[in-house]
Amino acid sequence: MAPTLSPAWRQRWPWAAGILAVAAAFGLQTQLYSGQVRTVGTIFMFVALALSWNLIGGYTGYASFGQVVFFGLGGYVTAALMTHAHWSFWLALPVSGLLAAGYGALIGIPLLRLRGHYFAVATLGVAEGTREIVTNLPDLTGGGGGITLPTVGAAASTKYLGNDGFYLVFLVLAALCLLVTALVSRSKFGFALRAIHQDEDAAAAVGINTTRTKVLTFALSGFLTGLVGATYAFQQVTIYPERLFDVELTVLMVVMVVIGGSGTVLGPILGAIGLQFLSEWLRQNYTTIHTLLLGAIIIAAVILLPQGLVNYLREARRNGDYSLLANVRRYRL
Amino acid sequence: MSATPVLETRGLGIRFGGLKAVDDVDLQVPEGQTLGVIGPNGAGKSTFINLVTGHLRPTSGQVLVDGQDLTGAKPWVIAKARVARTFQIVKPFRGMTVRENVAVGVMYGPDGMTRMGPALHRADEVLEQVGLGAAAGRSPGELSVADARRLEFAKALALSPRLLLLDEVMAGLRPGEIEPSLQLIRDLKAQGMTIIVVEHVMKAILAVSDQVLVLNAGQRLMLGPPRDVLSDPTVIEAYLGHKYAARQAAAQAAQPTPSPSAGAAPTLPAASAGSEEVSPDA
Repeated sequence: MAPTLSPAWRQRWPWAAGILAVAAAFGLQTQLYSGQVRTVGTIFMFVALALSWNLIGGYTGYASFGQVVFFGLGGYVTAALMTHAHWSFWLALPVSGLLAAGYGALIGIPLLRLRGHYFAVATLGVAEGTREIVTNLPDLTGGGGGITLPTVGAAASTKYLGNDGFYLVFLVLAALCLLVTALVSRSKFGFALRAIHQDEDAAAAVGINTTRTKVLTFALSGFLTGLVGATYAFQQVTIYPERLFDVELTVLMVVMVVIGGSGTVLGPILGAIGLQFLSEWLRQNYTTIHTLLLGAIIIAAVILLPQGLVNYLREARRNGDYSLLANVRRYRL
Repeated sequence: MSATPVLETRGLGIRFGGLKAVDDVDLQVPEGQTLGVIGPNGAGKSTFINLVTGHLRPTSGQVLVDGQDLTGAKPWVIAKARVARTFQIVKPFRGMTVRENVAVGVMYGPDGMTRMGPALHRADEVLEQVGLGAAAGRSPGELSVADARRLEFAKALALSPRLLLLDEVMAGLRPGEIEPSLQLIRDLKAQGMTIIVVEHVMKAILAVSDQVLVLNAGQRLMLGPPRDVLSDPTVIEAYLGHKYAARQAAAQAAQPTPSPSAGAAPTLPAASAGSEEVSPDA
């Protein structure tokens, strides 16, 4: 049986827990060595990315395999604005997000007509194509040779933030993504997304403008991903198209969300933290075979918990059956 | 009461390549009327509903709701014009409770409630109405066939429709389960709702329809009061083939056939029983 909470507290405790977690993350910084600050900052970055992907891929059910396009675009817009126009990072950051959102809406209008694998492949194509465009605009982007942001001395448009600074920015971005997800998941809008995920015809039949809802969500997801990309570009100082449009980043977002539990608030967070920790731990302890082990663990997780950790726990608690074997049977047969 | 029909179709049709799935259908459904739609499998019944509710774009003709031209309008526009439908193959939103399934329509339908609390409350009322009140907190996957069909019904009613299109809400139900659905339709009718019932269960059509539209190969074969329609030789032939029609005519000349299912159509008992299975309709 679930512990009994008054209805008001059942509403409030997730918010309280979220605020506490973010506060704890602020406090955590003081306890870490400089190297750890960077590692944990990267975890926050992935939490933010996974939460952003979850909006379109998890709630709405449109698996964007080109999500990295927003990351790369955000990064390059910030790089171009800071380098060529000498904008402050703090101004370039929101502009990068907005441009990524606009790009999301623009490609979303045609692409979101496609369903399932077709959408996935089409977004992948857009990401690859966009990378090529960025590579072939050397005056603006530095082309394949990369672009270096002015971060030191008098030329710096914004002083480099350092490990501590980026830790905070990524934490704030992760908190923002968490807030957006929590709001979406409890709102009317969230119900529209879940309805679209389940059955688009049925969703349209009860009055949901499915086209507008999907495009808005893709743009929102692009906005958040773009903010993260912008910050990453600043952190890296020198960026290259292959790095910022790396398919592996998309894959990581997808894997984190799927393992944690797609279409939930907590799932992407747990997935991102878990996978980053695991990957780091394996790298330190099994240097030669860490990627192999990580891959094997991911496969095992997907086989045993096809619905993701959070959804599995939710269902198991309701059915009172925590058996993994029963879970596999339920989803595979 | 206005003279404008709630639904009017003029020359409504759709082609899929060379196939005219619905062909030149003229129809007027006055306010408060219940129209039964019958026809053999593939006659275009579901396609007709899809055309009226915007799930398919007509290639010819017009759809007017309350005199307003909604031809080719998107489904959500039609839903907001208080035209609601059910799907022949139930489409619950899994991962939401039964109550939330209905609340989605309350929030996004013409009433457009934004706040969760009142929307869920309204959803509960609708569930009470269809007799699913006790299942409000359950997941749609746990429902029986009959209850899943009721949920489909409730999702449509969540839009507070003035025109309700029911696509085989009784398919796959046992005789005892049909009666509550019929009663529900009668209740809605008593409230003045205009209803279109697509159904293979002849007993149901007879029990609630003021008029019956017969579709065959996409075309309007006949429109008229239920008993007239069901005893019409062309209708019998469309349903059961010309051999059966000839035999039936001969038998009727000798003596009237008693009907095995109580209250069923005078001349179509076998057809109704035989085609109750859910079938992939055009």
